[in-house]
Amino acid sequence: MQPASREARERLKAAMKRLPGGDRQALEDIYRATSAKLFGICLRILKDEKEAEDALQDVYITLWRRADRYDPERASPISWLATFARNRAIDRLRVGKVRAGSVGEEQAAPVADKAPLADRLLIDEERDARVHTCLETLDEKPRDAIRTAFFEGRTYAQIAEEGGVPLGTMKSWVRRGLQKLKACMERGE
Amino acid sequence: MSDEPAPGEMLAAEYALGLLEGEELLAARGREASDPAFAAEVAQWQERLAPLLDEISPSTPREEVWQRIVAELEGTGSEADVISLKTRIRQWQLATGVAAAAAVAAFALLFTIPAQTTDPLPQAPLAASIPIGDTQLRLAVTYLPESEELLVSASGLTADGVHDHELWLVPQSEDTPLLSLGVVAPGEERRVQLTPAVAAEMTDGTGLVLTREPLGGKPRDADAGPVVAEGRMQKI
Repeated sequence: MQPASREARERLKAAMKRLPGGDRQALEDIYRATSAKLFGICLRILKDEKEAEDALQDVYITLWRRADRYDPERASPISWLATFARNRAIDRLRVGKVRAGSVGEEQAAPVADKAPLADRLLIDEERDARVHTCLETLDEKPRDAIRTAFFEGRTYAQIAEEGGVPLGTMKSWVRRGLQKLKACMERGE
Repeated sequence: MSDEPAPGEMLAAEYALGLLEGEELLAARGREASDPAFAAEVAQWQERLAPLLDEISPSTPREEVWQRIVAELEGTGSEADVISLKTRIRQWQLATGVAAAAAVAAFALLFTIPAQTTDPLPQAPLAASIPIGDTQLRLAVTYLPESEELLVSASGLTADGVHDHELWLVPQSEDTPLLSLGVVAPGEERRVQLTPAVAAEMTDGTGLVLTREPLGGKPRDADAGPVVAEGRMQKI
């Protein structure tokens, strides 16, 4: 993981602040700086290039129309945008437009990794990345379940079925895992 | 097991992670909208989990995607109408439809043709069949110009106990605020007598939006809730 360039981060933040004023150039600046990261996220969740493109389009259109939703005082812009893209992609999964998991993960990432440098720089060094280490402290089953839910956009019912365990068992694993994750992260917050 | 966390305690985390569906998802969305403490918990979980997204390799989208975004923002022809409608909705500070549509998808809303509209009508009735999100579900709205009555059929809709849905007419003039057509009654077909002012706005092509509101409909001094569906009245 490379540290974020302070300059790149500040540029993005400034563009996000210009957005509610209807500054089209700000939207383009944001798109150029973040689209590869957000497209990677959409592709990972949706596993279909066409769907991921539609989701990405939807993300930036919504960002433009609802520019007031981002509060620069609260969240790092790249974290916020990444979470936003993930949520929109999951929304698409849930409304049943896409059959999740119809394509394997290898086929799902056909586009070569040719992200612009700016994108790589947008990994935020100041952000608390404690979740990585905390996740490693969990038992294997809850950890895998939480990772699958997070990265593949799976529901309880889906991970239970895939894991071949009753729904109640899966919920217990995940809840205990989340509880432990929370306790671990709070020690660092 | 005694160390089992209470189900309610982990709801914000489960919601942020995206584990929920159906009624649970709907309830969590409702709480996020109405309970600031819960919303803050959800946001905190999202921030906690966000660094995991750095594990995903970036992938450059085709240039065409940006061109499509520009084209959509500029809008052409009938698309421009939709955008203009959306802009007006935005002025109402409504959240966007897709997320909400996912919640509404949890409803079993069936398309039913309103019964008993058999009176001979010199004027053609108008009807809208409003798709809910990307689901197969539809809300059926019929307007009888003769009696200035609106029939709203939500026969398959189940109440979730947290929300109501309110139907609105989008007036021709941008200066006129949206006109309420009342709360959609889950599981019922409702007959609404329109006031002459509202009836005057009801013509071929009139836009309708459905918003998600607290029980009882939009509170007097609050903004309308998120749009979950939209459609147009057409001559039948």
